[in-house]
Amino acid sequence: MHSEHLAGRLAGIVGADHVLAAESCAPYTVDDRVAEAVAFPGDAQELSAVMTLASAEGLSVIPWGSGTQIGLGGVPAKVDLVVGLTRLNRIIDHEPGDLTATFQAGTLLREIQASLHRSGQFLPFDPAGHERATIGGILATNSSGPWRHRYGTARDLVIGIRVVHADGTITRGGAKVVKSVSGYDMNKLYVGSLGTLGIILEATVRLYPLPAVERTWIALFPTGEAAACALAQILHSPVVCTRIELLSSVAAQPIGEQAGCRFPERSVAVAVSVGSVLEAVDSQIAVIEQLCRQEGAVTEFLLEGNAQDSFWKAVCDFPAPSGNARSRVTLKASVLPTDVLDTICHAETTAHRLGLESAAIAEAGCGIVRLCWAGAPGAAEPDPITIAKGIDDLRSRVARRGGSLVVLSAPPEIKAGVDVWGPVGTALPLMQALKRQFDPHGRLNPGRFVGGI
Amino acid sequence: MDKNRVVRELAAIVGREWVISDPDELTVYECDGMTFLGRTPPDIVVLPNSTAQVVEVVKLCDRERLPFLPRGAGTGLSGGAIAVAGGVIIGLNRMNRILEIDLANQRAVVEPGLVNLALTQAVQKHGHYFAPDPASQAASSIGGNVAENAGGPHCLKYGTTTMHILGLELVLASGEIVQLGGKTLDCPGYDLTGLFTGSEGTLGIATKVTVRLMRQAEAVKTLLASFRAIDTASEVVSEIIATGIIPSAMEMMDRHIIRALEEWLHIGYPEGAGAVLLIELDGPVAEIEAQAGQIEQICVRHGALDLRIARDEQERALLWRGRKGAVAAVGRITHDFYLQDGVVPRTTLPQVLREVDAVAQRNAVVIANVFHAGDGNLHPLICFDSRRDGELQRALTAGSEIMRLCLSVGGSITGEHGIGMEKIDFIPLMYSPDDLEAMRRVRAAFDSSSRCNPGKLLPAARSCGETHVSYRPHRIEREGLAERY
Repeated sequence: MHSEHLAGRLAGIVGADHVLAAESCAPYTVDDRVAEAVAFPGDAQELSAVMTLASAEGLSVIPWGSGTQIGLGGVPAKVDLVVGLTRLNRIIDHEPGDLTATFQAGTLLREIQASLHRSGQFLPFDPAGHERATIGGILATNSSGPWRHRYGTARDLVIGIRVVHADGTITRGGAKVVKSVSGYDMNKLYVGSLGTLGIILEATVRLYPLPAVERTWIALFPTGEAAACALAQILHSPVVCTRIELLSSVAAQPIGEQAGCRFPERSVAVAVSVGSVLEAVDSQIAVIEQLCRQEGAVTEFLLEGNAQDSFWKAVCDFPAPSGNARSRVTLKASVLPTDVLDTICHAETTAHRLGLESAAIAEAGCGIVRLCWAGAPGAAEPDPITIAKGIDDLRSRVARRGGSLVVLSAPPEIKAGVDVWGPVGTALPLMQALKRQFDPHGRLNPGRFVGGI
Repeated sequence: MDKNRVVRELAAIVGREWVISDPDELTVYECDGMTFLGRTPPDIVVLPNSTAQVVEVVKLCDRERLPFLPRGAGTGLSGGAIAVAGGVIIGLNRMNRILEIDLANQRAVVEPGLVNLALTQAVQKHGHYFAPDPASQAASSIGGNVAENAGGPHCLKYGTTTMHILGLELVLASGEIVQLGGKTLDCPGYDLTGLFTGSEGTLGIATKVTVRLMRQAEAVKTLLASFRAIDTASEVVSEIIATGIIPSAMEMMDRHIIRALEEWLHIGYPEGAGAVLLIELDGPVAEIEAQAGQIEQICVRHGALDLRIARDEQERALLWRGRKGAVAAVGRITHDFYLQDGVVPRTTLPQVLREVDAVAQRNAVVIANVFHAGDGNLHPLICFDSRRDGELQRALTAGSEIMRLCLSVGGSITGEHGIGMEKIDFIPLMYSPDDLEAMRRVRAAFDSSSRCNPGKLLPAARSCGETHVSYRPHRIEREGLAERY
């Protein structure tokens, strides 16, 4: 279908003001592929009708929240129609006494938090770009940040879901209660499925009370080994941390600056936040301080209020956007907590060999290492195939220890040389069977998920 | 089926002593913890000792077109381990080894037949434990906990079984072995570990389970408060949560339970107590001391008759004694009971409990309530005497009314016991035909033959019927209490 004709049909469903066609689609580009049309449905029925149209016309559909994670996934096989979800932005329900709330998928996390804060509660999601991210996008990508240490990720917090399927059918899973074993746990199927089984329309989540007091202790160590020892001690103490992060020396410097802290050069940072009543925060910070000193911490900072907020915002948003995007890749390694330091070191060695610099921060207790490889200022750019090989090298190392490595974002020419998800092993046929059951014609985000799904 | 030949072939896989085919011996397997909605013995029970043996058994079932189902300790409460279509029960009790304990990373890999409590016992000397604590934890197996996504009092703070399962080795109905998840988090691809957990043995057989171990909290504090009315106690529950406290457990017992417990254990609850609330806090000492102070104020403000705080482990056990004995105590006031498991938003507890009372009156039955108040998971025990005409029917009617009541406030018909065969005709009250169709697609992706635990969790669509269960009305359906969609 021609872009103009398609736009006309979509306008009949969502209204001409909510359709983009031709050149105005340019901002809706996935890995250099531009959509033919973009539609912004205003409610569930419109979204369903758009999907029915796409299905009848054999169009591929790319769901789009605010696009903060649009770099995730393989290069799409086909980009026909982008479905923008930002008009589905209502907070449907929030009952403070139940610690649950229901949101439409396009609601901005920022607006959700502002609303929940008024009742002294919050939704513990803090992925990169969380200031702009939509709840639907966070769920579809199961993206996470430092808070996962205490609160888990979307897969742990979603209790109910509504989804629009490839053929326009709307279904529901879970319930508005924190515990239900009625039928299969469909929440788990859709969370993290990158919109390949259906488009999330709304979700009910568990909330948490805001802690009365929260403080962050940052300790700088001369070596990664000393920092890792301190981390292990803290993780195996009775201290209850809300966030516990390891920052490699390359990553620590700019993040420290954003929080107004001068970190000594070439030092590795451990940052731990504790939230509770004042007495419990103080006593636990004292334990952390002592454990860090025993392991040779050289400089320390205690943050609260705005400085604390700026520091964690910088950690969440790591890596900050920088110079040459054409050789920049961001990676997520998932390893055992005891392998975090080894992974960071190996990533540095691999990147140096390629002529790149590797910065790393890790949700250390969860074994999640976020890496950014970028060209050093003024250095020659390595070719994309070499970088892709470097990613494969690091992946083999991580996989030998039972972990996985996912490319979170990379230019298309690097994606062409590497499987962004890596192998999923013996489970792949089951995943492909699920895809066939839910989207038999492969219309939703084709080619962007594991194993070419 | 040529039973003798199949028995011989199974014996060749696992050894003759691990195949049960004698009708008398099979009566052990005719039901699980759900005993009164129909008993069906399997044709054969087989007890494999390894994944390889499970594969061979499943492949044999495939060749012989026999339905099969996995079974752990048989403590399930919704009939999930009953062979409604006959066939083979694969008992996993011999596969009960701990394969790996990795304390540095707080993980363990175990076989499905391992008893829940045995894992905690193996790691508690190092300060760790396995968090899911269903009431059956001294008997139920971890494989069964995975199948049912078991809960327990402490899942208020630490979540149900699914939050503690990181990886699985499965044997599918085709006999293929599949690895899901692992010791690390965020494995790429669909979250099949999460999808499998709570699938009630309908998607395959878990032969290895990778679990998260938790560190014991620095301190624990247990409080017991008594109130004149259950409404007040329910308001206290909501207020504690709204204050920003998430206790590790909040358990409630009503006047019927209190009376039954007093007659049996003479616990000494205060005169006139209509509700007892058990609250447990865990965490850093300074935190739980402050929270206990806040809770005390809330209880006093709501006119608590009595507030006890355990000073040591012995007193803690004493406070828990009533709660742990509650279901058994009901055995003293009734011949039989039908245990429900609905969930409601906790703010609706006062209203819902009043309506449960009305259900009891309308059907002339006693309904005793003991429940996980913190997460709104009701456990109404509908008392009846199966020897008297019409009482079972009245109990079943009351049960169906309670399920509808839970759904009317946005809740669920089951919080931790599962659909099994018991609620298979009620799940269409909660989910639309399209919702159920999506679940059927999941099942089809895992098991296109529908031979894995047929007749559970999903009602067969009337038009196309499951291969191995000819349509026959459920007892509840025959009695006109529910309709098949």
